[in-house]
Amino acid sequence: MTNANDATTPSGQPLGISHKPSPTEAMFDEFKADNKPAFIGYLPYGFPNPDYSLKAFKTMVEHGVDAVEIGLPYSDPVMDGPVIQAASQIAIDNGERIANVFRAVETVANAGGVPLVMSYWNLIFHYGVERFARDFENAGGAGLITPDLIPDEAGEWIEASDRHGLDRIFLVSPDSTAERLKVVADNARGFVYAAARMGVTGERATIDASPQELVARTREAGARNVCVGIGVSTAEQGARVGSYADGVIVGSALVHTMLDETGSLAVDETTGLKALAAKAEELAEGIHNARN
Amino acid sequence: MSVLDELVAGAVEDQQAREKDVPLDEVMRQAAQAPAPIDARRWLKRADGIPVIAEIKRASPSKGHLSDIPDPAALAHEYERGGASAISVLTEGRRFLGSLDDFDKVRAAVHIPVLRKDFIVTEYQVWEARAHGADLVLLIVAALNDARLKSLLDLAHSLDMTVLVETHTREEIQRAINAGARVIGINARNLKDLKVDVNRYNELAADLPDDVIRVAESGVFGAVELEDYARAGADAVLVGEGVATAANHEQAVERLVKAGARVKASEQTPLSTHEGPYFGQFGGRYVPEALITALDELERVYAEAKADPEFHKELARLNQQYVGRPSPLTEAPRFAERLKEKTGLDARIFLKREDLNHTGAHKINNALGQALLVKRMGKTRVIAETGAGQHGVATATVCAMLGLKCRIYMGQIDARRQALNVARMRMLGAEVVEVTLGDRILKDAINEALRDWVTNVKDTHYLLGTVAGPHPFPGMVRDFQKIIGEEAKQQLRDWYGIDHPDAICACVGGGSNAIGIMNAFLDDERVNLYGYEAGGNGPESGRHAIRFAPGTGELGMFQGAKSYLLENSEGQTLDTYSISAGLDYASVGPEHAWLKDIGRVNYSWATDEEAMSGFKDLCETEGIIPAIESSHAVAGAYKAAEDLKAKGYEHPVMIINISGRGDKDMNTAGKWFGYLTDEQAKALEANGAQGNNADGE
Repeated sequence: MTNANDATTPSGQPLGISHKPSPTEAMFDEFKADNKPAFIGYLPYGFPNPDYSLKAFKTMVEHGVDAVEIGLPYSDPVMDGPVIQAASQIAIDNGERIANVFRAVETVANAGGVPLVMSYWNLIFHYGVERFARDFENAGGAGLITPDLIPDEAGEWIEASDRHGLDRIFLVSPDSTAERLKVVADNARGFVYAAARMGVTGERATIDASPQELVARTREAGARNVCVGIGVSTAEQGARVGSYADGVIVGSALVHTMLDETGSLAVDETTGLKALAAKAEELAEGIHNARN
Repeated sequence: MSVLDELVAGAVEDQQAREKDVPLDEVMRQAAQAPAPIDARRWLKRADGIPVIAEIKRASPSKGHLSDIPDPAALAHEYERGGASAISVLTEGRRFLGSLDDFDKVRAAVHIPVLRKDFIVTEYQVWEARAHGADLVLLIVAALNDARLKSLLDLAHSLDMTVLVETHTREEIQRAINAGARVIGINARNLKDLKVDVNRYNELAADLPDDVIRVAESGVFGAVELEDYARAGADAVLVGEGVATAANHEQAVERLVKAGARVKASEQTPLSTHEGPYFGQFGGRYVPEALITALDELERVYAEAKADPEFHKELARLNQQYVGRPSPLTEAPRFAERLKEKTGLDARIFLKREDLNHTGAHKINNALGQALLVKRMGKTRVIAETGAGQHGVATATVCAMLGLKCRIYMGQIDARRQALNVARMRMLGAEVVEVTLGDRILKDAINEALRDWVTNVKDTHYLLGTVAGPHPFPGMVRDFQKIIGEEAKQQLRDWYGIDHPDAICACVGGGSNAIGIMNAFLDDERVNLYGYEAGGNGPESGRHAIRFAPGTGELGMFQGAKSYLLENSEGQTLDTYSISAGLDYASVGPEHAWLKDIGRVNYSWATDEEAMSGFKDLCETEGIIPAIESSHAVAGAYKAAEDLKAKGYEHPVMIINISGRGDKDMNTAGKWFGYLTDEQAKALEANGAQGNNADGE
């Protein structure tokens, strides 16, 4: 028999607040004890196709990625640059389904990584916020990164994540005011995602100094863990960012390894996974040794 | 023995034990000496929020242990700081692990009303509550017969206490009312899935007198249930576990209080001056945090401008001297004759001539207003999206006039179809960027404009063209467009001596021209309002842009706002289709979604075929060539006529908003009606000389 309600205990009572500890925070605690930053890697689920992507997630974890940001491909990704847009489109064209993303969550968890999902809000809203939280928790998921959901609009998600013990990862950007940083820090769980620059995802030759200041300001606003993403694409950049951030997030550079030179087609599986593994290792080396 | 019977029996036994130590007359003496109670009714209902009664609750029979609460006073303090309007203290000791000692500690700690929550069935318990300083007591209808309910209620009222009377069924509510209850606790959880059931609430609360305060009592955990109850009409909520077990109690209460304020604000009337961010459950700001600083700035600067007479003077001057406002209100007697032939309704019909504005559509109204704000903000660069031209041309035009740098994003497919409009924008000094991502149409142009904005927000303003997107755009764009309806209202009186129209017809893509003409009439119930979406090949064909008809749009978030949205089973945005690019959008402005839900505007659609037929009718009868977008409103007039007839109107006055002119659509129309040979049509396309599909909506 299926459970008619997503938010009830087996005895039919509404679920209360889950007080189970955050696996993401536990991960950061361990890394802090070793004075190391964590490496968070992004790939869209279903890119280039569902099975290939499961192998890719496993590969990432086996080659140095600590927490995986599993992207849910969306038709209108306003925070993403061309590389992730192209990969998302390929995934959608190849039959990606949101209900199957939990396989990716399980894959990451089984490989020993911390599974995070990154999704534009309409996909979660359409799937059902409570239903998503339940399925995500059951699959072993840790937290959800919401690039277009600010805490002010997140009432339903705050309630569902409280009931299911999931992390709420909101973003901040270099021009966020102290007031906004506080709103985010007060409502976040797990970590805060600091955008390294104003703009969308994508690789950049240089990283300017602003993320360091943003990380400091976000910590001042009360955030325990602050990770930096958007525009980090090389081991050297990862090392620089990792010297002050609790975690370094890399997306486009990893996705890139599985795209051919046209940027709109995926390379074959063997080549793609090999390139992905090499890139992940290179980045992990830089990030994990950032403070040595 | 039911759980309730058991709890009552236990409570009575405990009370009798206490009475042995402190006899009734002693309790009565203490009650007389206690500080006067706060009138809790004044705390439990307000126009701008949903008061929260936060409960000190350690355990319950259904859920067992919840929280230790070693220091109830500290918890009550946190609730009070979070904005609670009252504190409920469980004093039942056996299953809820509460006590009067808890109550005393809370009473001493806070300045807001305190509710004694127990299984009260004796007068002693009521006196006792008062002796301990209670402002409120709970009475449970199911635990009392009518006589007892009334006598306890009367006793509590005579002690100036407020009584929260808990009910579970319609019959119990009736008994509570008969006994004189003034504050009623309603439990509207669906017992199957335990969710708040709005229909059940409505069924329960249907016969309650207006002056009874309705407290939602069951199953309120967080913002979701609070919003459900509040939208159903509850005045206040009682929350236990959701706040008592939260990691941060103050924050948990604060979230509820904020959610309540938001619901109240979202339903404010009059409709014509309703402010965002929320229109009912729609609207908001579903955007990256990186845009919040810019949206906050825009909201602030716009609020300042709105209050500045100089701003209005400048806008009015440019509207008159540059745009050519007021646009005329033209009577259309020969078209009225045709409408009569087709529908049998003898109407007087007037056309609001936005087609006569500079650049040929209503879009300039908004472009001009926002461009003045750009100047005010000190920004130097403007970006905008355009479906096929009209908003892009209007934006490029005002940027040229005000010396602003301008970039227009346009889907590649639209740009190719609209080579002439691309040339117009370039002629006006704008840079036109073809978007080659996604479906390469309007929504993709908006995505790309949003990406540009996220990146360059410091010096760039995104001049959004319709009443969609994140707050403050929907309300602000409406304000710049509402001049359409204000003029029409005045002109109808001054030029034609008619007090008010009976009906207004407008086309709805994002919805700016429709809001523009309707706003002045939203609060005048005598005026029937009709909005027409792009029906394409009809709702069943799957090739349309109808968001409001059953089986089409669903509730979703798109490009910054919550509204109705055309999406597939995965939540991915669907491709839309219409002969008019200006109506070809997957979502619709949040205010329209609200006006649909509250039934103020009657939304329907016109198919391509109906729109083209309306287009031809207006050309032939009045010598006015409307944009194909506006032709949906013309076609809609026939449908509105049927509705007016059914409502008993015999000689109604109708206004149709002609949002733009149709010169741009000649190629499409020429092909549609066979006035162009294939060779001619092809030659026009090859020349880039066609001008169809401007988003004149």
